[in-house]
Amino acid sequence: MRSTPSTSADNTATDEGDSEGHTTENKEIFEPLEEYDPPSLEELDASANWQDRKVAYGRDLLRERLKDHPPLVSAEEAMALKNDSEEANEKIYSVMRQLPESDDQVDWDATWVHHLSGDLKSLNPLMISASVEMELLELTGISLIGFDADFEKFGMRQFIDSWQTSEDKLMDKFVLRDDLAWSDGEPVTAHDFVFSFQTIMNPRVTIPAVRSGTDKLRWVEAYDDHTLVIFHKQALASNDENLVFPIVPEHIYKDSVDDDPTMETSQYHLKFLNKPVTCGPYEYKSRSRGQNIILTRRDDYWQKDGKEIRPRPYFKEIRCEVIIDPNTALLSLKAGDIDDCRLSAEQWLTQTDSQDFYDKNTKVRGMEWTEFHIVWNVKRPYFQDPKVRQAIALAFDHQEMLSSIFYDLAPAGLGPFHPTGWMASDKPEAYQRDLDAAEDLLDEAGWDDSDGDGVRDKEINGRLVPFRFTLLSSTTPNSIKVCTLLKSNLDQIGIQVDVKPTEFTVLQDKSLKHQFDATIAGWGTGTDPSTLDNIFKTGGGRNYGQYSNPRVDELFELAQAEFDRQKRAEYYAEIHDILWNEQAYMWLFYRPTLFGLNQSIRGFNFSPRDPYGVSPGINGIWKTK
Amino acid sequence: MADDKKAPDPPKPAPKSPGFWRETWVRFRRRPGGMLALVYVVFMALVAIFAPAIAGTKPVMCKYKGHLYFPAMGYFNPKWENPIFQKDRFRKRYTPAKFKEKDPDSWVIWPLVYQDPFRRVGGEEWPGQPENPTGADGSPSRYNWFGTNQQGKDVFAMMVHGTRIALLVGFVSMGIAATVGITFGAIAGYFGGWTDIIISRLIEVVLCIPALVLILALLAIVEKATIWHIMAVIGLTRWTGIARLTRAEFLRLKQSDYVAAAKSLGASQLRIVFKHILRNGLAPVLVPITFGIASAVLLESGLSLLGFGTPPPNPSWGTILREGRDTIQQTWWLIVFPGLAIFFTVLAYNLIGEGLQEATDPRLRSDD
Repeated sequence: MRSTPSTSADNTATDEGDSEGHTTENKEIFEPLEEYDPPSLEELDASANWQDRKVAYGRDLLRERLKDHPPLVSAEEAMALKNDSEEANEKIYSVMRQLPESDDQVDWDATWVHHLSGDLKSLNPLMISASVEMELLELTGISLIGFDADFEKFGMRQFIDSWQTSEDKLMDKFVLRDDLAWSDGEPVTAHDFVFSFQTIMNPRVTIPAVRSGTDKLRWVEAYDDHTLVIFHKQALASNDENLVFPIVPEHIYKDSVDDDPTMETSQYHLKFLNKPVTCGPYEYKSRSRGQNIILTRRDDYWQKDGKEIRPRPYFKEIRCEVIIDPNTALLSLKAGDIDDCRLSAEQWLTQTDSQDFYDKNTKVRGMEWTEFHIVWNVKRPYFQDPKVRQAIALAFDHQEMLSSIFYDLAPAGLGPFHPTGWMASDKPEAYQRDLDAAEDLLDEAGWDDSDGDGVRDKEINGRLVPFRFTLLSSTTPNSIKVCTLLKSNLDQIGIQVDVKPTEFTVLQDKSLKHQFDATIAGWGTGTDPSTLDNIFKTGGGRNYGQYSNPRVDELFELAQAEFDRQKRAEYYAEIHDILWNEQAYMWLFYRPTLFGLNQSIRGFNFSPRDPYGVSPGINGIWKTK
Repeated sequence: MADDKKAPDPPKPAPKSPGFWRETWVRFRRRPGGMLALVYVVFMALVAIFAPAIAGTKPVMCKYKGHLYFPAMGYFNPKWENPIFQKDRFRKRYTPAKFKEKDPDSWVIWPLVYQDPFRRVGGEEWPGQPENPTGADGSPSRYNWFGTNQQGKDVFAMMVHGTRIALLVGFVSMGIAATVGITFGAIAGYFGGWTDIIISRLIEVVLCIPALVLILALLAIVEKATIWHIMAVIGLTRWTGIARLTRAEFLRLKQSDYVAAAKSLGASQLRIVFKHILRNGLAPVLVPITFGIASAVLLESGLSLLGFGTPPPNPSWGTILREGRDTIQQTWWLIVFPGLAIFFTVLAYNLIGEGLQEATDPRLRSDD
């Protein structure tokens, strides 16, 4: 079960360490919606040549998947284990990821105390931008399609009866189920989707993030209460991702949004500020800013006249506790006050190996595709030449970073794709430190120490420019550590670096305006590699480093218009090779997913994105009796 | 017999009565707490100055290819490290082995402790010294007297080099504050009238600006924020108390007879202000300056603890504390040593301030 906000299909900018609270989406300038007069349903049905797509319950798909991964040990054995080896981790994870075999195993009256590392800015589904907001929307919202851990798309059976795509890939038709209601009792209809789309594209409404998917749609049309057709602007391989956008109730906001485009300042809108009307499995019970948000199960969502019409949500109540300080969060976990908590490498290694942690909890680690890198602004004189970027990669002590900062829990970064992805090339190999080669490359690129002051320099437009640049870092300790390690490494070959820790919002702003020499950053993965095009294509909205290579541009175009996965994989692998060889970024590492979990938690599955990022994700979590 | 009658002794000159400063010093010396604190601060100053010779990985002095070099000066300013080592591809890693290999006739004077405040010392650098441990394993040992932080940097080396920051922050920021405060206070007090009103209002305005907010704003704007920027901001917001005291002293002293005498002798206003009034009015001002140094040290540590202080990788005491906070249950040495250093330094300045206060204020004198 998953209800996805639109933008989670896209890559997310991630702040190392404190990912949850700080992940944001980019804000692109968007083209306003053009009026479109869609043909009638009869005309469409006659010409579209509809092709059926898969419709399923996320839980069933996961159950299917888990058949190949049965628990390796019994639950008692797993909880008695300490997670200090690969083998122990496998065993514990094999138990923690299971779905219940029968309803008797589930504690249906349980409360899940879920940890949030940052508060939500807004509960309004249209205003989401950070990943904590998306997480909650999974529990309270609905969406037409979902993604499994391989990013295979499927229609969400709990919300729709059918999903069809036209042969030319320009249209998608959905038939909604007729037994779905808002938490105030009004039925959810196709008109709610149309209204939500129109509101998102209304330039007067300040939408922080979700437009980056809907702007690729031409139109959304409701032919009756349950028949919805979505029109795309172009036939692209990534079209499915754009079908997901957050939904708000038309009957609540229809008349009021014009008077108050912020959707949360007028007297009328304030009523819904802390208790919006929801349509997903849970509804809001209460919210205290900066402290907690309490959700309760909607019984009219999963049953009708005493009959189960949808899979029953696993928790009676979900209490989301906002704890920003990681140490406080860990202490709360140890005390049993919260049930789950992301751990830092440091906490994993040093603070969760004693009995006081294992009394109530256990821990698991897995991989995600979130990668961290240093962006070179290639328009700055220092980084124009790929040789310089290669030299820096050679000079940086990757091994020291992985061992002394990440305690060998994070694998070395090997480019924009994760090596296990279908689109990744297998050619990139981790750089081995070689200062002689680095110095030779810099000499070749013209950066030598001509004035003999110990700092490399180069004559540019008649001026001698010393190789001294500013490296923007986020304020998280690990980012600063990586940056100062790079500083110390580059100092050895005569390059001066000033490390400047910068607030996340300022960092975002400077990145968007290209006002930096170099900066450390991270990208979470999109569900499709084509979402990378606005990061590496010339002039792309998130191409902060202004990288440009005509062949890369061409390959992105080719791959987008191609529907054969094998061919697409070849195109993306070539992009991967080019970016790696030219060191468009200096890739550092992939973030390991480290979680501490209460021993009663189950249904916890890793994914390339994060454990809550694919279907059923957060809705698959349950507690044993 | 020779007339050995001595000429009568010349009249003994009356013993010169001790001046104000000398008297203060005499009184101050009688206070053991204050003296101990003074000794501590002088000791800290010596540590700060000789930091690269106490802990570092760069030779204090070496004879290399026929010339004398002082690479350790690179800790003060990277430019003072002779480029010859860069050219010979030493790559800022000076080891006995490298010197022997590149110039067998070279000799080197090394720092007392071969540890670096900016990086982890590896296993192949100093003969017989293992690489620094990382994570929570860096408890104090033979090689790392105060332990290492999670990244494996030596805490002793960081603290020795951090002393410079701690002392500089206090002295520079309060130096700025004193200069500004005394100047404004003197002008306001001496001239009075409209000047006084305008400056007094200005003082009130500055009093309203919280230094913390200003520092945060500044760090966001300035492209290459350094510790000097922070010192300047602390200095430029902390002068108000000094200005008020100076003004009060001037208001009092400008009525005194010796000022009237100086005026009647035709002394210039500048001379009256600085030579006559300021000298006599300085004593009460010294006290808030000393206390101000203590609070500046605390403020810098606090800023570093929050992550807004000295730009990385400067090894300030507060930064070490911040690193210790993440693993507070495992790495006590990251909390105890810098914590004690901050505590003692602040205590020392406060004791000196108190001593000065009692030595200069006649109402507080207990001895006569």
